[in-house]
Amino acid sequence: MTRDTSTRISIGSLRNWLSAVLSDWDRTQMTLCYLLVFILALSPLFIKSTYYLGIIILTVIYAFIGISWNIVAGFTGQLLIAHIIFLATGSYTTIVLYNTYGITPWVGLLASGVVAGLLGVVVAFITLRYGLKMDYFALFTIALMVAMRTLFLKWDFVGGAVGMWFRLIDISFSNMIFKTKIPYLYIALGLLLIGLIVQYSLYRSKIGNYLLAIREDDDAASALGVNTSFYKMMSVVIGAALAGVGGGFYIMYVTFVEPPQVFNLALNVEIVMAGPIIGGLGSLAGPLLGALLNKPFIEIVRGVLAGGRSGATLIVYGLFLISTVLFMPQGITGVMYRLYLKVINRFNGKAEEVS
Amino acid sequence: MALLEVKDITKRFGGLIAVSDFSLSVDEGEILGLIGPNGAGKTTAFNVVSGFYRPDAGEVFFGGNRITNLRPDQICKLGLTRTFQIVKPFPQLSVHRNVMVGAYNRTNNRAEAAKKASDIIDFLGMREVSSVTASSLSVAYRKRLEIAKALATDPKIILLDEAMAGLRPKETDELIELVRQIRERKIALLLVEHVMRVIMSLADRIVVIHHGEKIAEGEPHQIVQDKAVIDAYLGEVEINVAG
Repeated sequence: MTRDTSTRISIGSLRNWLSAVLSDWDRTQMTLCYLLVFILALSPLFIKSTYYLGIIILTVIYAFIGISWNIVAGFTGQLLIAHIIFLATGSYTTIVLYNTYGITPWVGLLASGVVAGLLGVVVAFITLRYGLKMDYFALFTIALMVAMRTLFLKWDFVGGAVGMWFRLIDISFSNMIFKTKIPYLYIALGLLLIGLIVQYSLYRSKIGNYLLAIREDDDAASALGVNTSFYKMMSVVIGAALAGVGGGFYIMYVTFVEPPQVFNLALNVEIVMAGPIIGGLGSLAGPLLGALLNKPFIEIVRGVLAGGRSGATLIVYGLFLISTVLFMPQGITGVMYRLYLKVINRFNGKAEEVS
Repeated sequence: MALLEVKDITKRFGGLIAVSDFSLSVDEGEILGLIGPNGAGKTTAFNVVSGFYRPDAGEVFFGGNRITNLRPDQICKLGLTRTFQIVKPFPQLSVHRNVMVGAYNRTNNRAEAAKKASDIIDFLGMREVSSVTASSLSVAYRKRLEIAKALATDPKIILLDEAMAGLRPKETDELIELVRQIRERKIALLLVEHVMRVIMSLADRIVVIHHGEKIAEGEPHQIVQDKAVIDAYLGEVEINVAG
């Protein structure tokens, strides 16, 4: 008897929880994200091939880096095209700290975030000081990337044109170097979880509301008391710092860095921009959903079309990107949102606004 | 002392003098109408007062503070905000989130801002569209949303730039009633308006601007009889005494 009521109560509360989650699109997206993280965490149980595990790890890193760009480009609407400079800065920080000074990557990742964040301050300060907006802002970041590539090629302290190999000796937890791929997966998932939570709490907070307002209309936001310069800078710095941490971990996993590899617009499109755009720029689940489609697709295409026809990979990948933008201008979450509204309307039996 | 004091502001764009030696003052809780023919410099004056333009000469004081060279957001923090002639909603955000942006002007707390936004949405009679994205609103609702966002910042004065243009008579009447209620909240208003009916029924005083200069100031019934004003609106009357 008592048991019956208790199960009934738990089912009832479960239903309440479900309806609360489903009545709010933001929470629906976040629940979906957590669910996907959970499934990814279980993946080593089913996937034994290190090749496929490697793809999963990179997918998770891509999703994390996608989030960092989503905050700047998606929330605040800033055309920070060459976001990869922050990833590169983070990569170099982690690898130099470990190789040259023997500082553990656990600290190195944080330092990467700080250094990339500082670069973010510089970028934001210069662009705001000289009023570079939209396309000029985009061009500035690309120019900065090219300048940094040249600088790093000549800078022997960071390996110059030779690049740097991550010293893979002393396999240990404290050095963040492991024999198998599984620990890397869990660290990457930890980062992704942090990224998702940072993004969500930002989105719901005053700061997030201000960032969205700036994206929608700069002048209107400023008339309502939003210090647009300050909040633009803040979004660039947050995005840069996250990308720095992501870059540090990316290079831990890839184990090699050289200037043409990381200061590279093609990699920038693949690792920074494709995920959020495919998934839905400015949405909460976009970067993760986009990365889940983006990274495995690249790898499959590479696997199938590799071998002397490397150009074919780029053609197919390019067509893939063009068609997703063409047929899903709002990304995966845009399509999902329309379906979601249909379902909600059917449940509620009333015609709510469909934009 | 007046709440808002504009002293001899001049604004040039290249060779064009948009506003020259223009002054006005608004008292607490007062509704001041600013009228003038197209291109007279009303919106430029608005932009100078609200911090979007810096004047080439002159000063603006608000509540005893000199606000001449402050940014719009700093001026808003002090309690002066504006609406835009061409409405500027945040199109992809819900109406509620639009208003919350304004509400965050006085609080950092999400729940407080949400509550305040809801209250103001109710006050403006927009509850049924609260969760709708601003891009799908009708013109009348967009105009109201402008006012809602401005009200949410807890201002002492709102600069309304043609808030009633393009509305149907019934919608205009409703909005006039709302503006009256806003005044009852001890909020002063500076009103730029082309719809004379609105100005005449709302304004305590009227300032007339023409070619960037103030040509008349006074109570509504005085203004309608002012010769300079009539000339500005209808063109100078040539008296031709032909035999």
